Amino acid sequence: MELLGIFKDVGSAASAVECLLREGFVEAQITSLTLVPYPDGVLVKTNQRTLFRWFTLACGIIGAGVGFILAAGTAWVYPVQTGDKPIIAFYPTGIVTYELTMLFFMVGTVVGMFLEMKLPNRAHRPYDAAITEGCIGISLSIHPGGEPVACEPGALPTECIGGIALLPAAEQKERAEEIMNDAGALRITTEVQP
Amino acid sequence: MSEHTIHPKSASRMNDEMLSSLKPPTLRWYGLAFLLGAVVAWGIYAFSYMVTTDMSCTGLDRPVMWGVFIVNFVFWIGLSHSGTMVSAILRLSQANWRRPILRAAEAMTVFTVAVGGLFPLIHLGRNWVFFYLIPYPNQRGLWPNFRSPLLWDAMAITTYIIGSSLFLYLGMLPDLAVARDRAHGWRLKLYTVLAMGWRGTAREWVVYQQASTLMAALIIPVAVSVHSIVAWDFAVTVVPGWHSTIFPPYFVIGAIHSGVAAVITLMIVIRKAFHLEEYLTPLHFDNMGKLQLVITLLWSYAYFVEVQTTWYAHEPIEWEVYSFMAHKYTFILLLMLFGNSILPIIVLCFKRLRRSIPVMLAITLLINVGMFIERFLIIVPSLSHKNMPFVWGTYFPSWVELSITAGAFAGFALMYTLFAKTFPMVAMTDVHEYESQKALMLLGRTRVPSLVGKE
Repeated sequence: MELLGIFKDVGSAASAVECLLREGFVEAQITSLTLVPYPDGVLVKTNQRTLFRWFTLACGIIGAGVGFILAAGTAWVYPVQTGDKPIIAFYPTGIVTYELTMLFFMVGTVVGMFLEMKLPNRAHRPYDAAITEGCIGISLSIHPGGEPVACEPGALPTECIGGIALLPAAEQKERAEEIMNDAGALRITTEVQP
Repeated sequence: MSEHTIHPKSASRMNDEMLSSLKPPTLRWYGLAFLLGAVVAWGIYAFSYMVTTDMSCTGLDRPVMWGVFIVNFVFWIGLSHSGTMVSAILRLSQANWRRPILRAAEAMTVFTVAVGGLFPLIHLGRNWVFFYLIPYPNQRGLWPNFRSPLLWDAMAITTYIIGSSLFLYLGMLPDLAVARDRAHGWRLKLYTVLAMGWRGTAREWVVYQQASTLMAALIIPVAVSVHSIVAWDFAVTVVPGWHSTIFPPYFVIGAIHSGVAAVITLMIVIRKAFHLEEYLTPLHFDNMGKLQLVITLLWSYAYFVEVQTTWYAHEPIEWEVYSFMAHKYTFILLLMLFGNSILPIIVLCFKRLRRSIPVMLAITLLINVGMFIERFLIIVPSLSHKNMPFVWGTYFPSWVELSITAGAFAGFALMYTLFAKTFPMVAMTDVHEYESQKALMLLGRTRVPSLVGKE
């Protein structure tokens, strides 16, 4: 279950996040939906580490290989003897390899970005068009509840759901709604994941 | 408040203004689209005529076998250079004034490179076997000759058009979500597909910003390589006037020169057409004017170096090309020097003139007229006088070449017009981001804007 509160401004949204954290919800459960990016910590704290650049690098290396094979490999397979010039010409091979390396780098960046964002996502996630009109959305993932969650070794406090998980989901939702309403939410919507 | 600070408005009102270009087309818009479409149709007719007769309907003949088609190719690829590059450099340097101009610049690149990329194919002669350029296994055991600069062009242009399109799309992604949330009918379907389910979560923004920065860093060396490769089309030959080591950097500078001018021209057109006076302010033209001035000085220096080296050495065959150019094409040579160098340097030194929209329009149009002439003067005089005097010749484009050229200009304008009616023409979230970063804080006796952002 995911809860989305819509707030008029950053101040009230940030205040809602503060209160949710005090209640026992953790950063990993909360995210903001905004028209523009805010520096980390203004609304929520996110994991700034991303992996897609390794994907970009891998794509670039593959591109270099493809470019080299295309230019040098095929020159070897289809030899064109021109005077005493080498079959595999250094200069054109370099150009073709460079261009394909860069092409694969760029395509890899965009593909990797979408993979990391998990987009496009066919699942129905809570959303409100008011967000693109300047409102701030605070989304909270409700734990199924009723059972304690054992924190994995090394888990950060922001990732480890504690006592709140013991409460039934309906009660967690009720508390969260109350907090959001107190902070000035314009409206709250709920989306139940199948 | 600083000049580039847009007056405090609600995000909703700013969206209304920035999305005004997406309003239903007016009769005048349809008239313009029809006119441009008619010129494109005429260009296509001229091309069909050339294909169904032969290349003799062009002005091409020995010794000048590269004419207006190649002039167009170099010119359009040059124009394409700056859009993406300027956008990428301004993104990386986090210049806040960049925000409203990004989309105009990035879209220009995609359409100019699309038009430019057609000209080598138009020039081929037997255009219908263009696919011989593409490496594919075939029963004749033929494989493209990678030693040919024509194939380098094909590789570079393919990379650049894909990269520029991705760069444009990446910049538009959050804006497409804004447009999606306000759209109905076919537009809703289009924006929903293109926005890929963007919601603007904190995590999405982190990844998006890193990807945008990385993409900006990647596209710059690609842009430089594309025009260097175009320059190598000339420089790796032994034609007098072409075989020059300065050609790649000279071409890159020339490309930025014409590209920056074209971005300014388009900014003026968009500003007027979509009433974006509050977003494209005189400050933007002032800053772009300073950039244009620097590039003009660089271009002038490069041109001077190229000519003075030849003049001082006085190598007969090289000097013959320059003498022929100066005598045969005196007027257009002077027009080029005046439009590309002398006038911009004088005018752009003055802040008041840089902030004058009519002056900037005149100067930037003149620069691009000058750059088209420059491409012509690089190509035609060298080929006219490259061999023994008994094969010297001259060249004048035929109606077919001029019609195809007119079709190319109209085609670019038509694509840009359609794009402007379909997609947001101002980088909305970039503008919103700048607004959100500012907060009024008390300093001394007054409130001043503070900027909050990532280091």
